[in-house]
Amino acid sequence: MLARRLPSILPNIQFEEALEVTKIHSVAGTLSAKNPMVLNRPFRSPHHTITPASLIGGGKMPKPGEISLAHFGVLFLDELPEFKKSTLELLRGPLEDRIVTISRSNLAITYPCNFMFIASMNPCPCGYYNCKEKECNCTTDQIKKYINKISGPLLDRIDIQIEVQSVEYKKLNSSKNIETSEQIRKRVNEARKIQLKRYEKYNIFSNSELTPQLIEEHCKIDNKSKKILELAFEKLGLSARAYSRILKVARTIADLSNSRNIEVNHLAEAIQYRSLDRKYWGS
Amino acid sequence: MLSIVKSMALNGLNGYQIYIQVDISKGMPYFEIVGLPDTSVRESKERVKTAIKNTNIEFQSRKIIVNLAPANTKKEGSSLDLPIAIGILIASGNIKNSNISNLLKDTIFLGELSLDGTVEGINGILPICIEAKKQGIKKIILSTKNAKEASIIEGLEILPINKLKEAIEYLNGNKKIEQESKSCFLINKEQKYQFDFADVKGQENVKRALEISAAGGHNCILIGSPRIWKNNVS
Repeated sequence: MLARRLPSILPNIQFEEALEVTKIHSVAGTLSAKNPMVLNRPFRSPHHTITPASLIGGGKMPKPGEISLAHFGVLFLDELPEFKKSTLELLRGPLEDRIVTISRSNLAITYPCNFMFIASMNPCPCGYYNCKEKECNCTTDQIKKYINKISGPLLDRIDIQIEVQSVEYKKLNSSKNIETSEQIRKRVNEARKIQLKRYEKYNIFSNSELTPQLIEEHCKIDNKSKKILELAFEKLGLSARAYSRILKVARTIADLSNSRNIEVNHLAEAIQYRSLDRKYWGS
Repeated sequence: MLSIVKSMALNGLNGYQIYIQVDISKGMPYFEIVGLPDTSVRESKERVKTAIKNTNIEFQSRKIIVNLAPANTKKEGSSLDLPIAIGILIASGNIKNSNISNLLKDTIFLGELSLDGTVEGINGILPICIEAKKQGIKKIILSTKNAKEASIIEGLEILPINKLKEAIEYLNGNKKIEQESKSCFLINKEQKYQFDFADVKGQENVKRALEISAAGGHNCILIGSPRIWKNNVS
């Protein structure tokens, strides 16, 4: 599974980040005397039977949920449409605000939840819709019902949407050198270092946390790029939220190629990661 | 006699000080904890009673009132066992030290008690220590199981104990508790991962997407057929 390999390329955790994460894990009681501090980015992958309270946090004295335990790390939801729709919709606020406030009659508790949301899913119940090798035998209604478990607003908050196609036999059998996680992680760390330096005084750690004002300041694009973005908006019918998210992704792509400015090709790559919602959800 | 011992509890990630006030007076044998304790705090009565008995100290059959101030906030968890026990022992005169008020002034106690007098670890030590430092606390007496986690924070005297007896001896001035040294945590040490991208053939576009996602902390969704996932794991 591809997403399971994600922890091996995550950027190194900063001490301030580790301290924050350890605080949450300390309250949740996941630490042991042997490992009293969280030294790696957390990777949480709860099963799809998860309850709202354990995802968001809850209880009489609200305890942190999976989204807070994944703070500065990854929340991975496998088989996304299998989750209860009402549970998934709970992620809307936290994905945007990066904090969650759990209110009870006698108290309200706020936990941070600045996590990377990674999800994987099949395109339809049988799994072969849009697959080259095998025919899908689902009805249009079935596909629609399945896909619609992921609502538009939730999808809108996902910056990168990517279709995984099968690999040709030739490639499976080739012994061409494949990049190791270590090589990828090196690039990721370099890009993260640029971000850390740039946002030193703002108390944020990555491009995904940029506020609208900071986007204005750090994600400037030239006129040619603006035209492309305008065209993409017309063609893909994107939302205002998608606009800022595309710029943030473009900023990261520029950082990965160590470029000061966001170039046209960076922006174009960021835009193409937003094209799937039309393909699957559009009709 | 009245005694006041300090401890700390959490409200989410924010700590606040709790004053454990214990009064022992003549009257019918009676032991009550007030100040909005929940079930786990109320149960600490039995733990404290037995732990004191098993430390070879007589638990006095008097009227014992324990108040957890501020009395309008709900208290939960077992972390108040140790301070309640210490409070009772001071009020009953089992801990005698002319310097006691000075000793207690900037010290907090945290820990759950076993029936045999062992001090057990509790949850939420790190946020409590951060808050304690902010509020001018200098010494924290806690379980050895929590010592390492507490020592992440600099500038606090962390005094780990195994048994209730050690705390009594310390407060009586008979014995010292060895201070936990500051732990050094190695962040960013190279570690081995179970799964590596080197095992995935092809799929360069997906790897690229995940790389961008990791570099900037962006959300990502992967859509594909079940067969594809299987193909990848070689």
